[in-house]
Amino acid sequence: MKKELLNHVNALVLAVLYRSLRVLYRDDSRVREEIDGWKNNLSFKLVCGPGGAVLALRRSEHAGVRKLQRAQRAEITMRFKSVEGAFQVLSGQKSIADAYAEHLFTLEGDIYQTMSFVRVVEYAEAYLFPRIWSRRILREVPEKQTGSLRVYAEALLEHAR
Amino acid sequence: MNYYEFINPTKLCSGKGALDNLAYELEMLGACRPMVLSDAMLEKLGTLRQVTEALGEMQIGRVFTDIPRDSGVEVVNRIAREYRDFDCDALVALGGGSVLDTAKGVRLLIAQGADDLLELQGCECIPRGREVPFVAIPTTAGTGSEATAVAVIKNHARNVKMEFISQQLLPDVAILDPRMTLTLPPRITASTGMDTLCHAIEAYSCMQKNPLSDAYATAAVRLVGENLMRVVRFGASKEARTAMANASFLAGAAFSNSMVGVVHANGHALGGVCHIAHGDAMNILLPAGMIFNRRVCRDTYAELLLYLAGPEVYHNTPAAKRADRMIAEVVRLRGRLHRMTGLPVTLKEAGADPALFPEVAKTALNDGAVIVNPRQVTYEAVMRILEACYEGKEPQQGQTPSGKKKAKKRSI
Ligand SMILES: [Fe+2]
Repeated sequence: MKKELLNHVNALVLAVLYRSLRVLYRDDSRVREEIDGWKNNLSFKLVCGPGGAVLALRRSEHAGVRKLQRAQRAEITMRFKSVEGAFQVLSGQKSIADAYAEHLFTLEGDIYQTMSFVRVVEYAEAYLFPRIWSRRILREVPEKQTGSLRVYAEALLEHAR
Repeated sequence: MNYYEFINPTKLCSGKGALDNLAYELEMLGACRPMVLSDAMLEKLGTLRQVTEALGEMQIGRVFTDIPRDSGVEVVNRIAREYRDFDCDALVALGGGSVLDTAKGVRLLIAQGADDLLELQGCECIPRGREVPFVAIPTTAGTGSEATAVAVIKNHARNVKMEFISQQLLPDVAILDPRMTLTLPPRITASTGMDTLCHAIEAYSCMQKNPLSDAYATAAVRLVGENLMRVVRFGASKEARTAMANASFLAGAAFSNSMVGVVHANGHALGGVCHIAHGDAMNILLPAGMIFNRRVCRDTYAELLLYLAGPEVYHNTPAAKRADRMIAEVVRLRGRLHRMTGLPVTLKEAGADPALFPEVAKTALNDGAVIVNPRQVTYEAVMRILEACYEGKEPQQGQTPSGKKKAKKRSI
């Protein structure tokens, strides 16, 4: 698959991920508890390979997370070494733990605070990927506190807000 | 695993007379004015003097021994300033995990031309900087820090331990000389030896394991199986001391390339919250961590039985029971060490306050070691492990080394 296409898919998944994190902050108590544990304005960046798609967010007191300008420096940056590596994770072929084990990304910033971000993304994966899929990549699939369709639907509306 | 990486560029000088080559090794690295890092205890014991004497004619830029057991960012930043002020051109670190990790932090700062270690936190994100020749001389056979690309350094201001993972942390040379560990008391020898065993077992069973880390891990388990009791009983045996130093290096190289798991995550948290010594925590937690992972690690634990207990035990144990037997052998080793040295086997004996367990569990979940543990680590699981270890419930589970069932199997 051409790199450009992978980049588009990565960007699309990141957009869905961002919106679903905002939805899950309201609808999933574990996600809310994790995000509430982050210090205010803590910023994360997920960079999907050189020149690839970027998700940049920061903790926001009421909405859970808010977008951060791409150019702004984040306190924690997970940087995939390649667009292909990022695609493997964002398309559900590999978990973040697999990606770590295979050295697919580097991390700038505090490892301890990143672990909470990883858990939040794993909760989101349980909603966004079909169960059969998440069972293949996650060691244990977390129970859902609301339906996946509802999360997708709210995520779409989230866009309109 | 579809893909793996392995790195260990450290030159190993191991065995009798290894320290005598220190000046030569530094010279080969292009150094002529090293800074020597150590701690007050090693200075008092005369171990540091052996090292400065081994430097012979070489000019020493600075000797720094004010490194506490719980070394932090401020100490690292201060040493880096002194390194520059005294115009040093290499680092020689003599000590246990704290001194070696401090030296790694200093090396990172100097090589990157930075003033504050906090700027350099992260995992595999630091490019090669200025050359800073670095020789590590461990004085315990436990942490394996001389072979790892990891440093754990405390941020006292925020009361958290920070983890640095970078190949730039690996020493150029590691010197394992039995003279450096001869004076180690039996209890610390036992505690640090169990840390080594824990590195090897976790490296062999976590998600990042690979053929090379496996080779290092199994070699380490074999050396521990053959030498740990011996070195605790006969501390003056240079042969046994060297064997354990080798085991520590091997296990360090193994987990540096494959990571550790739930036992270390809990151990780091117990260290931070309840101030329990790392080796003691490993000794207490290892069987419970293995029982927790057993569901997904049966085969790997079964394989390790050969290395820990030897071929006879391995062949006489039915294949289906080898994993349980492996755990039972760890429990048995722990029991023998407890009787000989008083090494605690429960968190209660170690003085942990169970009221702090929720905080320990929360801290453990944020430890990088849980990410590649073979089983998902949850808050509830960590609490169950801590509670089981408080009064030492887990040794009754599974089987005894004689193969007889002692109690009903229960999973943590
Ligand atoms: Fe350890």
